[in-house]
Amino acid sequence: MAQEPVVGLVFFPAFDWAISPDHPERQERLLYTRDQIQEEGLFDHPRIREFRPRLAEDREILRTHVVLPSLERNITESHRIAAGGTIVAADLVVDGTVDRAFALLRPPGHHANRFVHGARGFCVLNNEAIMVDHLRHRLGADLRVAIVDTDAHHADGTQDVFYNDPGVLHISLHQDGRTLYPGTGFTFERGGPGAFGQTVNIPLPPGTGDEGMLMALEEVVLPILEDWRPDLVINAAGQDNHFSDPITNMGFSAQGYAKLTDLLQPDIVVLEGGYSIESALPYINVGLLLALAGLDYSQVEEPGGLRRPIQSRAITKQVEETCREVLQLWKTREQADLKSEFGPGPFYERRRQIYYDTDNIYESQQEYIRLCPSCPGWRVVYTTSTRNQEPVAALLLPWQPCASCRGEAEEQREKLQGDKRLTQIIWQEPA
Amino acid sequence: MYIIGIDVGGTHTDAALLQGTQVVALAKVPTDHGDLFSSTRQALEDILVQYPGDGPLKLQLSTTLSTNAIVEGRGVPTQVVAVPGPGVNLDSLRFPFPVHKLSGYIDHRGREAAPLDPVELNGLRDVLGSGEGEAAAVVGKFSQRNPSHEQVIGAELEKWYRGTISLGHRLSGRANFPRRITTAYLNASVAQQQLGFVKMWKDVLGKLNIPLEDVLILKADGGTMALQESALKPIETILSGPAASTMGVQALTSREDANYLIVDIGGTTTDLAVVVEGEVLYERDGAVISGYRTLVPAVLTRSLGLGGDSELHFSPDGIRVGPRRAGKPVCLGGEGLTPTDAVTALELAQVGSRSQAVQALEDQARQLGVDWPELAERIIQAFTAQLARAVEDLYRELESIPLYTVREVLNPPDLRPTAVVGLGAPAPVFIPKLAQFLNLPYEVLPFSAGANAIGAAAAQATLGLTLHADTELARITLPELGRQEEIRRPLFFDLAKARSRVEEELKELAQAQGYQDAEIYVVEEESFNMVRGFRTVGQRHMVRAQLRPQVRRVRG
Repeated sequence: MAQEPVVGLVFFPAFDWAISPDHPERQERLLYTRDQIQEEGLFDHPRIREFRPRLAEDREILRTHVVLPSLERNITESHRIAAGGTIVAADLVVDGTVDRAFALLRPPGHHANRFVHGARGFCVLNNEAIMVDHLRHRLGADLRVAIVDTDAHHADGTQDVFYNDPGVLHISLHQDGRTLYPGTGFTFERGGPGAFGQTVNIPLPPGTGDEGMLMALEEVVLPILEDWRPDLVINAAGQDNHFSDPITNMGFSAQGYAKLTDLLQPDIVVLEGGYSIESALPYINVGLLLALAGLDYSQVEEPGGLRRPIQSRAITKQVEETCREVLQLWKTREQADLKSEFGPGPFYERRRQIYYDTDNIYESQQEYIRLCPSCPGWRVVYTTSTRNQEPVAALLLPWQPCASCRGEAEEQREKLQGDKRLTQIIWQEPA
Repeated sequence: MYIIGIDVGGTHTDAALLQGTQVVALAKVPTDHGDLFSSTRQALEDILVQYPGDGPLKLQLSTTLSTNAIVEGRGVPTQVVAVPGPGVNLDSLRFPFPVHKLSGYIDHRGREAAPLDPVELNGLRDVLGSGEGEAAAVVGKFSQRNPSHEQVIGAELEKWYRGTISLGHRLSGRANFPRRITTAYLNASVAQQQLGFVKMWKDVLGKLNIPLEDVLILKADGGTMALQESALKPIETILSGPAASTMGVQALTSREDANYLIVDIGGTTTDLAVVVEGEVLYERDGAVISGYRTLVPAVLTRSLGLGGDSELHFSPDGIRVGPRRAGKPVCLGGEGLTPTDAVTALELAQVGSRSQAVQALEDQARQLGVDWPELAERIIQAFTAQLARAVEDLYRELESIPLYTVREVLNPPDLRPTAVVGLGAPAPVFIPKLAQFLNLPYEVLPFSAGANAIGAAAAQATLGLTLHADTELARITLPELGRQEEIRRPLFFDLAKARSRVEEELKELAQAQGYQDAEIYVVEEESFNMVRGFRTVGQRHMVRAQLRPQVRRVRG
């Protein structure tokens, strides 16, 4: 990394878009952040360059997602700009225009699964996932990308997209799913048969502060990254771990976020959640930008910083235990008995009910993954929802499928085409 | 009404006399850098010879007084008192002047998050000294949202500080703390000098036996300000020369295009400016002078090291022009070949000795193994291609300015020109070629037109005001006026009210400064609902209004 890194900032506050007028995802969300960055003179700093987002194209979105019943029925231009802006940020780094990039934009994306029937956790399109697939499309399927999601909510959408994808290491640090939406993200969720162990969850107890977050980062995340050696590190930077956030119960501070960024040294940062729009976001984002650009963030402090609750000893102990457990799981991932995890084959079957809180939709999913010794395996997914009641089948090929998986998937497609119950048969082959 | 425009330039001081829309006379004298006032007076006297004496006179002056003082570092010793609060570490910004930090801070909504420390305030006397022959700037973070800290510190200094004091919020209502610090610092450092200049003109006004009613000063945004006002905000007079030229082009052009490109080709540089929807574009944040980034509203100009007297570099890849000046062209007795020599040799213009130009081209052509006329053509071609690339770069830069709404991203503003308007000595040769390259129609203004002085004369008043309103806090702030007020009925104070309020204030201010019939319009506004816990608790409005920057169309 350059001594004096230049940061590309794709800032898109969507000042004319909201989920609904008083929803947390509303016009005002990044207003105070804009004011603070502007007043600090950071838009104007020689090491920070601002870039315009663009609209993501259909093929860029559909490389990652299966959107039902159609793209147009689910997304607005704002979603396209957030996804397109994230792609712009990645391209800036890959082109060498800047050393690092920060996609500071909304709406967020990390609760959006591969299958999209509507909005979940304020998300429709998974910005990071679309970006990662775009990068592999550009640079080749061999690219190794690590996503470190530091939002207070478990990044269940991103986990879902890359669950069986050996090219991606997905690490999520979040408030324990037993105490917060979406109620998942436990240590035993470790990925599918094609990428077992590459889904890493670090659930943290409510009340975890800077000490606990940074401990998990230093003792678990950094060693895992060191071990896995990604080509790119992406930070899905939710800012709702902050002690003043209205919808979570964590104790993180603006200084903590800046230190985290400084330690992690991500190539690309993408904003996720964070709804303490006045007391936290302006300060967190200034600290994050300064840390990314290798500038002095020591004076960044939110008002009332002294009111931050102290992390209790019980919590510290709990975090220590989780760290030990996760690290142990990581180290032993290759010794795991996949037959006992996923059965003898030839298919691993998974049935799920998925709730879309933002749009109040229930989805029922049945998934079959081919347990293949030479590639991550082709998949077939049957899905219906309270919004799209007609069943849809999707055949999903992994990046770099083996010839026999491709052949089997094609055969299955022909078979399904005769099935009158299915309204749509979708073929998704990333390239 | 007669108007005299004077532009004090680096080489010449130009003057123009306008009666209504008619250019009556032009004059040009060499600039005396040791005594700018004497060359200004000389230009004034020369032009007054042609003044028929049948009507009142107004003088509009584009000076380089503050510009030069800043560029040459001749401002008085100036210290900054800053109230930074938390955020970017001020020390890391390495301002090239002393900055003393005080504790206390105002947050992004304009609320006092921590008070000033009376002990530190008292201690300023030891830090700043008596201020005799010096100056101080007082700047707080978010002072445009709440100037009270700056006002308290200013009032404290008034008691005992003998130097000039500039307060940040009076100079700009826009966000950008580092730029506000720099702006206030520079303003303070040249204020004393400008005050002397104002006094001198007031004396002169009383003593002249011509009916000179008023003296107005040109600003970086191409507008004018009252003489008295310039003593308070001398920083606004910087870079008024390039702005005056741009205004001159707008006054003189016969093109009716909404969007056009202005190309001013000189000996050393070519300056580009951009007109969009009939108005010249401003710098996004403010003028940059001598490496200082300010918040001073300024006409956007890009200066390229590309001119008639530029160096030529020959290589197997082709010919590169500039960025340095070669000195005099060969046709005028210089040493190095220049674009002017190519132009002269091809008889596209008459400058000095054609035979010398041809001789120099022949020498160079022989080395390259081509005929000299072909070489001359290639030089002109290289000049044009470089210029066209710079034009493209400029528009790309302008088109990359971030957009923050879905509406704008879907319909980005159209900045592209539909014509080129050129001026400067080499313009008749290069502008048609550039226009052909860009596939646009063009107009070349005659060199003798004195666009800079005419621009100075044709410029009209610009004056702007910002209003910040926060209905949850029930507060209005008018930073440039240094005023804060309570909103009596916050529930009903909507954007329309905010807009009419700032328009009224601006109208009053304009009338007080003698601008009776200027058109006021809103340049920027935004309004947000503030929601806390699913309940709307108030609204936040920002409105910036100004007098419409206009130029009198003139006949040359």
